[in-house]
Amino acid sequence: MAENFNRNTNVSANDLARLSQEAEAEATPSSARIVWDEFKADKPAMVALVIVVGFILFVMIASLFINTPKMMQTNIMAYFDRPGTDGMWLGADSAGRSVAKQLIVGSRNSIGIAIGLTVISSTFGICWGLISGYFNGYIDWGMQRVYDFMMMLPMTMMIIVLVTIIPHYNAITLTLIFSIFYWEGTSRLIRSRTLAESEKDYVAASKTSGTSNFKIIFREIMPNISSLIIVDTTLSFAENIGVETGLSYLGFGLPTQTPSLGTMIANANDPNNITQYWWTWLPAALEIIILCLSISYIGQVIRRAADASQRQGAGD
Amino acid sequence: MSLVEIKNLKVHYPIRSGFWNRITDEVPAVDGISFNIEAGETYGLVGESGSGKSTTGKSVVGLEKVTSGQILYNGHDITRRNNRRKLDYNHDVQMIFQDSLSSLNPRKRIEDIIAEPLRNFEHLSKQDEKLRVLQLLDIVGLDADALYKYPHQFSGGQRQRIGVARAVATNPKLIIADEPVSALDLSVQAQVLNFMKKIQRDFGISYLFISHDLGVVRHMCTNLAIMNRGRLVEIGTCDDIYNHPLHIYTKRLLAAIPRTDVSQRAAHRASRLAVEEIYREQQDKYYDDNGRAYPLVAVSPTHQVALPPDIAQQLAHQESEADV
Ligand SMILES: Nc1ncnc2c1ncn2[C@@H]1O[C@H](COP(=O)(O)OP(=O)(O)O)[C@@H](O)[C@H]1O
Ligand SMILES: [Mg+2]
Repeated sequence: MAENFNRNTNVSANDLARLSQEAEAEATPSSARIVWDEFKADKPAMVALVIVVGFILFVMIASLFINTPKMMQTNIMAYFDRPGTDGMWLGADSAGRSVAKQLIVGSRNSIGIAIGLTVISSTFGICWGLISGYFNGYIDWGMQRVYDFMMMLPMTMMIIVLVTIIPHYNAITLTLIFSIFYWEGTSRLIRSRTLAESEKDYVAASKTSGTSNFKIIFREIMPNISSLIIVDTTLSFAENIGVETGLSYLGFGLPTQTPSLGTMIANANDPNNITQYWWTWLPAALEIIILCLSISYIGQVIRRAADASQRQGAGD
Repeated sequence: MSLVEIKNLKVHYPIRSGFWNRITDEVPAVDGISFNIEAGETYGLVGESGSGKSTTGKSVVGLEKVTSGQILYNGHDITRRNNRRKLDYNHDVQMIFQDSLSSLNPRKRIEDIIAEPLRNFEHLSKQDEKLRVLQLLDIVGLDADALYKYPHQFSGGQRQRIGVARAVATNPKLIIADEPVSALDLSVQAQVLNFMKKIQRDFGISYLFISHDLGVVRHMCTNLAIMNRGRLVEIGTCDDIYNHPLHIYTKRLLAAIPRTDVSQRAAHRASRLAVEEIYREQQDKYYDDNGRAYPLVAVSPTHQVALPPDIAQQLAHQESEADV
């Protein structure tokens, strides 16, 4: 059979190296390269990227040097210290605990939970959506009924109930509990795109080429909805920072001895704090706003990079 | 024995609705058709859009779940997935799609696209695989530069060549060509058709050539089937269909072939209107009470038409008299 091909063309094994080299020279840039070019062309996006990556690295590393139990001890002498006094840059709260240190450890906790939640719920939601959309039949029908059931549950209330009845929980169990309820949005979005994508002829061509369903789903269809996946994941990361923060603010998130952005913002519950002791809650609030804005800005740039017609960086 | 024998093939799409997703209705996209494809020939399947041609083609490559009937490939019924797997069926039967852009994965380089069937069916070494891809590119008239490019960097005609290269990669026995040139410019159409013919000669491939345009099929096919609303209305050799059409639907398709000679325009228009007039008046003669085409009856060893036997004989008689 190989002879059959050799007979009908002039290309032979001798040309292989030369032709591959020629082709290499004409090759198109990789998608990672395109995204990077897009960031370089958009200065504010670059700033946002540096802020987010730099900040996350900073709190992850700096928190290693902070002894949390010691930091959380009450120190009556430092009661509501103003920023700058007693060597505390951002002052102290009602228990005399350093706001700056709490901010670092709290950010690590909140961001860590948000990252964990995003990884777990997005991975699950993406797989669920891809499989449900691709198989489109009884499998899809069954998976959609599970989805409908999950959507019916009052999410926040369920989380509060679970957190209340589970006796000992920590950041990891909390992340897992959140994950049960946060994959649905992603799965529905991915499913609808997968339905449309599965209709395209390249999927049929892969089937007639003998490729397995599993490979078609993850190696053919998934790369084609990767821009949607990336944008959805960045946006849900921004959103997920708010999930833990919101519940901790209400008092149903991390245990009280574990600082988080939510517990710090909860300082604003006291009208005195809002006006007089603004340093107890303002830094955490500002941090959340800046982080969320930066992350969604980054998401937009990636979406632009994925959509060839909107690129600002060098074209292909 | 023919390469492929299609026996009373039916594909009915279920329409589901309601909470329990029950089947509430059906679309009979293909409604009991039979024909045979011989090794090495090009078999034409022609009909207006929506008549079920693509569904037939997809059933033959194994992309569509068949409702009933048989498709025999070298005597094996390949409507069952198990049989297809056992035979490595798609090693031998491949497909070229109408929409060249949608049929190539936009995220994959041409090398990976063409090598896909090779990786699954032939397990060549990296070197041999790349060589085969380069040879295939050469056969369809593309440069080696194409190797690491993406589909959107090519024109429609070039993309269709890539689609052909992928289909030929495993040296199949049969290729289903579903309107392979309908989306291309006229000049490019001729090029693509010509090298499809060349490849057929060089590799001894059979085509099931699907088209909505009898004009395109004329130079490709030895045998033809005319399809209308999921049924075959006429089967015959090229000569039978083009020179002695019996069914009114075939005559309409023939009248609809676009002509290029301007001087004859008025005459063509008149003949098209005449056929249209007959179609309107005599429709109930050509279709049964439910608007379905009749079962096929033979009027000659090669020629079959979907009409009640007496009318078929009468028309065939008239036709041969008009000939003399
Ligand atoms: N997946 C599907 N579900 C339901 N109906 C379909 C589906 N695919 C095709 N059909 C219907 O089947 C008929 C035949 O379609 P098709 O085989 O694509 O025709 P053609 O290729 O001749 O234009 C059409 O009426 C079409 O609407
Ligand atoms: Mg079609």
